[in-house]
Amino acid sequence: MISMITTVDRQLLLTLLGAGLLACGDDSAVQPTVPTTIEAVSGDHQVGNPSAQLASPLVVRVTDDQDRPAAGVTVTWAVVDGGGSITSPSSTTGSDGTASAQFILGPTIGDQRAQATAEGLAGSPIGFTETAAQGSGGPLVLSVAGGGNNLADRYSSDLWVYGNHAYTGTWNFREAQGNVLNVWTLDAAGAPSFTSSVTIPNIGTVSDVQVSEDGQLLVLSGESGGDYGQDGGVYVYRLTDPAHPDFVGSVSVPYGGVHTVTLANLDGQLHAFAAKNPGSIGTDTQNQPALLIYNLTEPSSPRLVHREPIPPHYGIHDTFVRDGLVFVFAWDEGFILYDVGNGIRGGSPSAPVEVSRLITAANSSSSPAVHNGWWFHNPVTGEKRYLFIGQEGPGVIGSRSSGDIHVVDVSDLAHPAEVAFFHLNGAGTHNFWIDEPNQVLYAAYYNAGVVALDISGTLSGDLSGRLLSQIKPGGTGNTYTWGVQLANGSLYAIDMLSGLWQLRTR
Amino acid sequence: MYTWVDPIPHGGSLGEVRLVQPTVMAHGGAFDDRLRLLATLNLEGWTIPNGELALGDWGEGFMDRRHPHTYVHEVMLSYVHPFGRSSASLAAGKGFAPFGTDDPMSRPPLRYPVNHHLAQILERAVVILGVRTGPVLLEGSVFNGDEPERPGSWPNMSRFADSWSARLTLYPGAHLELQGSHADVQSPEHREGFGTDQSKWSASGRWTGSLRSAPAYALLEWAQTSEADGFFVFHSLLGEGAWTLGRHRLLYRFERTERPEEQRLLDPFRSARPHLENSILGTTRWTVHTAGYGFRLTVARAVAALPFVEISYGRIADVNGGLFNSESFYGKTSFWSLSLGSRLNVGLPLHRMGRYGVAQDTAPMSADHQHDQHDHHSR
Repeated sequence: MISMITTVDRQLLLTLLGAGLLACGDDSAVQPTVPTTIEAVSGDHQVGNPSAQLASPLVVRVTDDQDRPAAGVTVTWAVVDGGGSITSPSSTTGSDGTASAQFILGPTIGDQRAQATAEGLAGSPIGFTETAAQGSGGPLVLSVAGGGNNLADRYSSDLWVYGNHAYTGTWNFREAQGNVLNVWTLDAAGAPSFTSSVTIPNIGTVSDVQVSEDGQLLVLSGESGGDYGQDGGVYVYRLTDPAHPDFVGSVSVPYGGVHTVTLANLDGQLHAFAAKNPGSIGTDTQNQPALLIYNLTEPSSPRLVHREPIPPHYGIHDTFVRDGLVFVFAWDEGFILYDVGNGIRGGSPSAPVEVSRLITAANSSSSPAVHNGWWFHNPVTGEKRYLFIGQEGPGVIGSRSSGDIHVVDVSDLAHPAEVAFFHLNGAGTHNFWIDEPNQVLYAAYYNAGVVALDISGTLSGDLSGRLLSQIKPGGTGNTYTWGVQLANGSLYAIDMLSGLWQLRTR
Repeated sequence: MYTWVDPIPHGGSLGEVRLVQPTVMAHGGAFDDRLRLLATLNLEGWTIPNGELALGDWGEGFMDRRHPHTYVHEVMLSYVHPFGRSSASLAAGKGFAPFGTDDPMSRPPLRYPVNHHLAQILERAVVILGVRTGPVLLEGSVFNGDEPERPGSWPNMSRFADSWSARLTLYPGAHLELQGSHADVQSPEHREGFGTDQSKWSASGRWTGSLRSAPAYALLEWAQTSEADGFFVFHSLLGEGAWTLGRHRLLYRFERTERPEEQRLLDPFRSARPHLENSILGTTRWTVHTAGYGFRLTVARAVAALPFVEISYGRIADVNGGLFNSESFYGKTSFWSLSLGSRLNVGLPLHRMGRYGVAQDTAPMSADHQHDQHDHHSR
């Protein structure tokens, strides 16, 4: 955002300088672009599903009287009818003179209109007429676009995609120990190719990976190190060269190691939320699982600002941070919600305050096994109503798994209530990614591969009818998918057996 | 004892010298032997803190090594009360739950069977009620489900009585013992009690007698453990026998047992404890033949030695899918094991571990053909 503003300011400055030259009466100087006209470029007459984002953005172009593109012009977007919404109420034309916006259709079947306005320009306002029709957005069908079967020596674990690179962890022992971070380059079509790897000493598994929002830092969690498998920690890398992460610092977490780590900006400072595993060779205090919160303002020396003990009911597996709230997924203890800067309870990263907790149903499994989650912010309805929780039931890694997706209504954060579930016979869920504008949840589903669920509207009871698509990218016997991420228009899936895949969603 | 195994995890072979199964036993009785104390100390926490090299063995965080037992293997106090021709007993302390067969430590082969964690439940805080009438013995118990985590572990008393077992034993003749037993064990592998539960079954026949006027022993057992509401099921079938001819003892064991393959640590002989989740990497089936020969020596009064050799040959098969590939992990799917050493027994013969109160009465030492006591009595 900062770089965008800087670019716009520079363009305005150039425009002013141009105007100054013109005032001096030098006809040979560069002619300024004085915007005169706005016209539609693309995005009109699309057909999409009700309450879903259109496949293509609405695009207009602003030009001067010589049809040259005019940059830095503010365009205002609005919905005329149909109850839809625009993701951003205004946008600014770029160097090519275009500005765009995403249109999320309203729930009504039929024509819906939006418009773009640029004050004082010929052609303004520009009208767009779109059509909402059930099933007309094209069915969501998962298919392989690229990648796959690209790692043979190690089992894969977690995934993060940023820009034109992907980063994947490695797990336990195959032909070699899972103590490396693999780096992938994505080509113009988004297909991954292996680029490099980084070895992390004295750990047995790289269990989680994430890149900071600004793309400057990569953080990973390590576990299963040392003779007793209880060494590990949080490891920080700089992505100055994104193809070759450069180690800058770490923090050791003995007596358990770290299962997952989540990055979040709070109060303008980068923090890492680490899930410490339970240990067995230390004191009770040392062994206890915990939520560890680190300040990463100085990446070379992560600073522990808080340790929140978690009951050792297998402990804490994952966290999800949003709006100053952290959801802790703590196995048989259910999920625990803390305020770490939201204001609802006056908490902060150094002093989290519990808001609520809930143990979800075990369903047909042997325990609740609350493993991971995603708090869904629905841009279509504006609701922040549903928390999706992954239950990790018993499994035979590589071939069998169990556990459902549970849906919790958190519209009242202090009183969460489970309202729905999704069960898939013969398989269990793992990590999620949600396409929020399109209201689709993508779930890694171990031996069932990747599953896409429609999560629009009100969710209640059995969601088996919400299954949109499913794919086993490596095929039966060669699929055990750990995680997914939507990036650059593709869905990326990391599979423990068959490596990194690029999937199409349409 | 010197043990050599080929292969070991990640391939190759390994030989080790270790002092295994060092035990000290104590018996006590009062009130006309109605009140009884049985105690066994086990010093393996000192002699084999990293376990005993034994391909196929598993449990308590060890894989392909037999774990050391807790220092206090059993200390049980029991009271026996006769009722006419019947008798009843109440026993309490730390020891074996009435389930399955005898502790492998008190059986002829030195090598522990793969099925140890399917066929016995031990080192728990347990209360046992036993009733014996004629040839029928019924035992029921409650105990803590958690297994020990290290040699110094004590049962988690906050979990006492979260698990139970029952064993029915029949004595159709002087030499034969038949038992069937069941146990529901809560979260044995997660001390806090939030792991998966086990439902266990066992059936066995045990014979002790003479073969061509020489002491002999035979055991045939079947065991099954179902875990996580049946998501995992492991089976075992085992048969073993021993025959003592003068100073010479011959033994043989056949075993076919399934075991869970757990996620290994950087030390490939160890698996993660405590568990983070309820997944395994697969199931392997171990088919093992063990043959042994021993020669009894009398070192001094009340001191007996039994130099021995045991050879095992086995095959490993992957069953029911999963990541684990035994050929990749070991480099081959068959193995050899050789053990050379000597048993040493000082003082009174060993008692039959895991039998308390009225069950203790059914395990007379003179009829028992175990290893040390067998040799001790056959002198």
